[in-house]
Amino acid sequence: MPILEEFFLNDKVVFLAGNGEGHTVDLARAFAEAGAKIFIMAPNQDTVENSMIAISEFNGDSLGLIGDPSDPHSILKAKEALLPIWGRIDVLINNTRFGLNKEFINTTDESWNQLIDINLGSARLLSRLIGTEMLQNRRGKIIHIISGLAERGLWNSTAFSASQGAIMQLTRSLALEWARFNIQVNAIGIGWATSEKDELMNNYIPLKRGINVEEVCSLALFLASDSNAFISGSPIYIDGGLMSHP
Amino acid sequence: MILDKLSLDGTVTLITGGGTGLGRAMVRALARAGSDIIIGSRRELPIMEAAEEVRDMGRKSIHYVVDVTNSEQVQEMADRAIEEFGRVDVLINNAALLRAPLTPIWDMTDQEWNYGISANLTGAFYCARALSKQMVDRGWGRIINIASQYAFRGGRNMFTYTSGKGGIVQLTRSLALSLGPNGVTSNTVSPAFIPTEVDDSKRSSPAPNPMFTPMGKFPAPSDLGPLVVFLASQASGYLNGGNINVDGASMAGGFAPNGFSPSYDEELT
Repeated sequence: MPILEEFFLNDKVVFLAGNGEGHTVDLARAFAEAGAKIFIMAPNQDTVENSMIAISEFNGDSLGLIGDPSDPHSILKAKEALLPIWGRIDVLINNTRFGLNKEFINTTDESWNQLIDINLGSARLLSRLIGTEMLQNRRGKIIHIISGLAERGLWNSTAFSASQGAIMQLTRSLALEWARFNIQVNAIGIGWATSEKDELMNNYIPLKRGINVEEVCSLALFLASDSNAFISGSPIYIDGGLMSHP
Repeated sequence: MILDKLSLDGTVTLITGGGTGLGRAMVRALARAGSDIIIGSRRELPIMEAAEEVRDMGRKSIHYVVDVTNSEQVQEMADRAIEEFGRVDVLINNAALLRAPLTPIWDMTDQEWNYGISANLTGAFYCARALSKQMVDRGWGRIINIASQYAFRGGRNMFTYTSGKGGIVQLTRSLALSLGPNGVTSNTVSPAFIPTEVDDSKRSSPAPNPMFTPMGKFPAPSDLGPLVVFLASQASGYLNGGNINVDGASMAGGFAPNGFSPSYDEELT
């Protein structure tokens, strides 16, 4: 079956960070299928272990560390483990998202700050600490996996949508700042994950179904690969057409 | 397996404006990924050569001389494609009028306006109209519309290109809502200025300078090929109604980020 060789990530070093919610194991599997070496960092043991098992299905190289992507010490520890072995980082995938479904009036300072620290904090710290390596190599690709709520609002979602919009603006400005260093910074804005039972929501989505995790993975692969030489600073929404609605 | 879904093996693509520049680069990538291709454009020689190149790569291909501003010719091209290949799975609306003169609005004739809008917007509508029903009937299809940064930002004395390309973005969104329920996705690709042999010899405005882009360089035509293959493939199934900028962060903002010096307005006058 003819597949463009540019889509493969043979021997690319990918730093994949997630907070355990959704998709991290699937992303690890997809990048392993494409031939990448993967360092997985997540706060919970299950995500790290399951990712490494998924990578081994493709005989892929993996390293892993239980660590919090919004904690700079964890990120530095991960770098200390990775760099002596693989020597560089080509791709950063930040799959950290922490949701909060709460009326604005009941969103406490504590829960607001916690959410901003996890979501925006991990995007900032991962970009800075992993990006340092990319700056030295004058090449790299950074991909933040965020929500379509970076662009649109939702009831009871002020903290979450504000954090996603902030990551989008971090993405745009960092893309400009690091463009001359051949580092591309992008964000994937994902749509709704619905089940077949969610008839009303499914009917509202133009494609009449929720998102499939493989579809997020293949977009992330494309953006991380050499086939993407010029997309940067852009939100790419993968939402079945939701954003086209009035 | 995720990667298998990136193959276009067994698919049929129709692309307009596929003889030179970006279109030609897309044709090459589509053929490498396994698609058979109908190539439609006004000038015969480049698309004849492009179709021959695709056949040399082992795929089926025909060329068809068409003016996309002519609704009857577009319908005839679609009929010919269906007759020859049985179906069209992927439509790429790439034809556009790149060389419209930059005219003060008070000097623009009705004819110039109408032709510019026809070439940059209406042609895509004609092609989508001619090919979308057979996609919907089979429950699968991909429509990829090539727009521009000028779909989102203005250009001095550049009325039909900006309005037409802005219209393309909205055409895409409405196609996404209308055809999405039947398994046909529609997306826009918006490239920055990409130097091609067409632009270099016939530009009517000052040439952009890569010094004034965020990455300090322009994309190459070949940078667009893999993206179009991705969007044409099974793997892009949940992207619908969206836009992807291929612009090296130009649309992200910055100071005069589109390849023109901040003194561009003075250069024009």
